[in-house]
Amino acid sequence: MTPVATRRRPRTAWSVGPLAVLLVVITVPALVWARAGDANAGKAVYERKCSLCHGEKGDGKGPGAERLDPRPRDFTSGLYKVRTTADKIPSDQDLFNVITHGMPGTSMPTWAVLPERDRWNLVAYVKSFAAEKFKEQPKPQELPREVSSSAESIKRGKEMYEAIECNKCHGAAGRADGPSMPELKDEWGNAIRPANLTKRWKFRGGSSRTDVAMRLAAGVLGTPMPSFIDSVEKPDDIWHLTSYVLSLGPESPNYATLVSVGAVDGAIPDDPNADFCQVIVDPRNFNPSIDLMAVRAVYNGSEIAFHLTWDDPTRSVADPGKNVFADAVSLQFPPRLQAETERPYFLMGDSGNPVYLLGWEAGKGVTEANASGPDKVTPIAGSEATGRIVFQDGQYRLVMKRPLASKDPNRPSFEPARFTPIAFHARDGGAGETGPKMSLTSWYYLRLEEPQSNRRFVVPPLVTLVTVVAMLMIVRAANRRTADN
Amino acid sequence: MRRVFGMGIAVALVAAVAAFVGVLSRATAQGGGTIEADVKYNGAPMIETIKVNKDVEQCGKEKKIGKISVGPNKGLLNAVVSVADAKGVTTAKAAKPVVLDQKGCEFHPPVLGMLPGEIEVLNSDGILHNIHTFSTANPTLNKAQPKFKKVMREKFEKPEYIRVQCDVHSWMLGWIAVMPHPYFGITDDRGVTKIENVPAGKQTIEVWHPVLGTQKKEVEVKTGQTTKVAFELKK
Repeated sequence: MTPVATRRRPRTAWSVGPLAVLLVVITVPALVWARAGDANAGKAVYERKCSLCHGEKGDGKGPGAERLDPRPRDFTSGLYKVRTTADKIPSDQDLFNVITHGMPGTSMPTWAVLPERDRWNLVAYVKSFAAEKFKEQPKPQELPREVSSSAESIKRGKEMYEAIECNKCHGAAGRADGPSMPELKDEWGNAIRPANLTKRWKFRGGSSRTDVAMRLAAGVLGTPMPSFIDSVEKPDDIWHLTSYVLSLGPESPNYATLVSVGAVDGAIPDDPNADFCQVIVDPRNFNPSIDLMAVRAVYNGSEIAFHLTWDDPTRSVADPGKNVFADAVSLQFPPRLQAETERPYFLMGDSGNPVYLLGWEAGKGVTEANASGPDKVTPIAGSEATGRIVFQDGQYRLVMKRPLASKDPNRPSFEPARFTPIAFHARDGGAGETGPKMSLTSWYYLRLEEPQSNRRFVVPPLVTLVTVVAMLMIVRAANRRTADN
Repeated sequence: MRRVFGMGIAVALVAAVAAFVGVLSRATAQGGGTIEADVKYNGAPMIETIKVNKDVEQCGKEKKIGKISVGPNKGLLNAVVSVADAKGVTTAKAAKPVVLDQKGCEFHPPVLGMLPGEIEVLNSDGILHNIHTFSTANPTLNKAQPKFKKVMREKFEKPEYIRVQCDVHSWMLGWIAVMPHPYFGITDDRGVTKIENVPAGKQTIEVWHPVLGTQKKEVEVKTGQTTKVAFELKK
């Protein structure tokens, strides 16, 4: 039973009758007790489960805190990002929900594994770190009556998005690349990134329509995200904005582990905006600057083409004086693709087993290299690869092409129907990423689909024709036999 | 008829005299002393120059942010001078809202003094600003003010110095001094401000500056007289 039920039940209870009253008498105290939570009991759970990051004193300075980005919450401030209240403090239910569901896109996991009572006890204990602020009961943030999403709602939402200048931080296409992005600081003076609105699975407070509308209405405390409930033209605009924000990206990233490479006849377009089939991989997230890359690939008789799409809030070329480096990506393959060879070490190989890198770097274009470790990269002279790139609204779109086969022992030859190991590297130079400081993945697989021959257009109709003819002959022979009799 | 007229005059005269005496007695009840504070800063001004990368039309291409602004004769600008724990006054409320404007991507005035009460936040720029306060006694505020929202009314009920910023234009920095009584002033470019009608007697005069901090001095305020207080703030 959800605690919300405690509020509804008494009202119906009086009218329904004594049995219901009795039920209330039994259940309400139990629930109220669960909701109220016991701070002392919560302390024990907190010290086992929470203090490593949030600190024993609740100040967000646990031993693990330094390695986390974003930083763990400082409970002594009483400031919380996710609220459904019009006040500065969250409701107990808000805290309970964050403990239960975690915060997507951060190190805060879901604690649904803990018994519900423990979670309510944690709510009570966490509040006690800023008891002064929680003295008064918070008022719920009212939302206008829900308007469901529609083409018109999305259109109006876009108008509002532009009128209230969400783009200043979140960017014109919602990819967190707005002009104010580099200056943003949280309440504690740490740099903070705006949400990439095309990746709703990382929204801290959830991505349901109500979640998004609530964040817009009440703002996100401790961050630069202000409250908009009094700052839209009409109250309904909160829902239209929600419709628009949720139209900016897919519901989930559809992570995959295999890049399936389609075979095509004729030339492969090298226009980065052209249509490709899509597979998405999830790079390992050392520094969360680039956390997702969409990979598509096709091949024909002579060459293979890779189409990569990724969000990068800052377009940057090398300027080491300012701690800015070139944006770069690379695809990593073993240089030889015999089935029996062991895959090289995923982190750019080692001296005994090097890797081949097909990549792109701002200012250099498409490059080919061999590597036998993160700091031992040797460019291959006379690159055979070509490519084109576009950057718009915080997103790179890149096409790289390479001959399918190579005689050079340092370059792989791609063959259909073979599972080829592939790994991905991406560097956001604007966030100071260079060399081994990057987003990277372990090995994934690439498979070139076998080419489909034109026989599929000939054989089945032929079989059909032969069958029909044979049937007709049988029918005719049978008819003749009947006639003869 | 004449008698009636004469009585009328007499009544009017009495009333006028009574009113005059009333005004006088109120003035003496208020104490009537004036404080003239003279705040100096014996150092180099601290001005940050920022290149603007957005809304250039409204904000200009460059912003000069005076963290410590010094006028001629080393007068310190925008320091708040007040009577600390003014005796004789318990609470005071503002009669009408004070105004904080956002113009040219700057807060005007950069340091706003007010009594507890309402404030009108204007958006004269016609672009998105967000009014983000960092307060401890009053609830913190972070509200968007898009171009079509010309005025927002907010309340600050408790005395404190509140930092105000706009996250969209990170150089925008202002202060709101919510004072518990009307005995305060903000220094001009000579570093001078006058506080009138300060209750007579021993008073502590405090000067506060966002970067240079606080200094206090004791003075004797005398009815109908101007008392001069000189401060010199250091880093």
